[in-house]
Amino acid sequence: MDNINIMVYMDNINGLKEGKYTVKRFASENNLGKQSAINLLSKLKKQGLVEVTGGGKQKRIYTIHKLPKKRTNGFYDIVNKYSPEKLWPKFEHYVNGRYTVEQAIIDGIKIGDARTIEATAYLFKHVTNWKRLFDLAKKNKLEKQVITLYKKARETIKCRRLPQRYMK
Amino acid sequence: MINTQDQEEIFRLIADYLKEDIECIAIGGTAMMFHGYKTATKDIDLIFKNSKDKEIFIRAIEKLGYSQKSLKFIYDEKRLKNKNKPLLYSRGEERFDLFVKDVFGFEIDFEKFVQRHDYIGKKELIIFTAPKEYIILLKSLTNREKDYEDIETIVKIEKNIDWSFIVNEAIRKRKQIPWMLIDLEETMERLRKVTFIKKEHFNKIYKAEEVARNKKK
Repeated sequence: MDNINIMVYMDNINGLKEGKYTVKRFASENNLGKQSAINLLSKLKKQGLVEVTGGGKQKRIYTIHKLPKKRTNGFYDIVNKYSPEKLWPKFEHYVNGRYTVEQAIIDGIKIGDARTIEATAYLFKHVTNWKRLFDLAKKNKLEKQVITLYKKARETIKCRRLPQRYMK
Repeated sequence: MINTQDQEEIFRLIADYLKEDIECIAIGGTAMMFHGYKTATKDIDLIFKNSKDKEIFIRAIEKLGYSQKSLKFIYDEKRLKNKNKPLLYSRGEERFDLFVKDVFGFEIDFEKFVQRHDYIGKKELIIFTAPKEYIILLKSLTNREKDYEDIETIVKIEKNIDWSFIVNEAIRKRKQIPWMLIDLEETMERLRKVTFIKKEHFNKIYKAEEVARNKKK
């Protein structure tokens, strides 16, 4: 059964090259009319083989993958949403359940490279539950690192004040 | 059989029954499903960092009605004798193969992962996904026909497989798993019908196997 499904994906994508397309380019490269191209892209999108960005004033760009792609919703999505310093994901992070800014700060410190840490600092602006942050820090033995990063963030970023009880 | 959606829901359910947060790495069919190479699998293969995490996981699945099963008829004699063989837990058609640290002596590096799946319930179950090269290597270790078919599926879809990494890893682990290079060579030889693998990779295997045998003498 699995192989049949994989073959269906492969059949749909057969002859199509992976990459980024506008409708116009996709139509011309595959000898299709504009409407046929839109229909095919829509069909592929439903199967998770196409990702779309843009729309409205921006031109839609379609990214074609050879395997169905699920949208990530983890650490890198949170950081890239809130931080002006964008990161290229080192891994695909999918979350099933509630993933918060506080958890993202801990994950950022755990990943640990300079770029990630710098981008993570911007998340302090969006912390709503300091207790959750410090409970997680305690569990991961990262309390000192969290305070250090908070102090560094306060120097450059306008962020909420950390309650004194957490400043040991 | 478990499909992708079932798998997601089972993990989410397990996260609600865990006593502590745990981390593990997915290999085999589960990893293939996470990558999108497959839409259903027979068994969920997980490797835990330590026995404690495995015990926490087992307690959670036992609460959900899974019970331990025998390894007989699933793995061959050679693998049944291995001290690093897995524990099997099943419930109906769903089955968990649970390993600690390594798979039949093949140690997994928890830092080398390409995906991370967090299942946040009452506690957190974090599942890392091994890269495709590791999946191929581990599947070639089990010597089961269905595992060969899985490798073939990956190879047909992925054109950029790092064979050099696979061969080097196999050579590195040859000491712990003496049959590793032979099994890998056999698999690669069969795969030549569906994909192109450079001769130099085979030569490297033959050379490493010869050196290892000479050392033994």
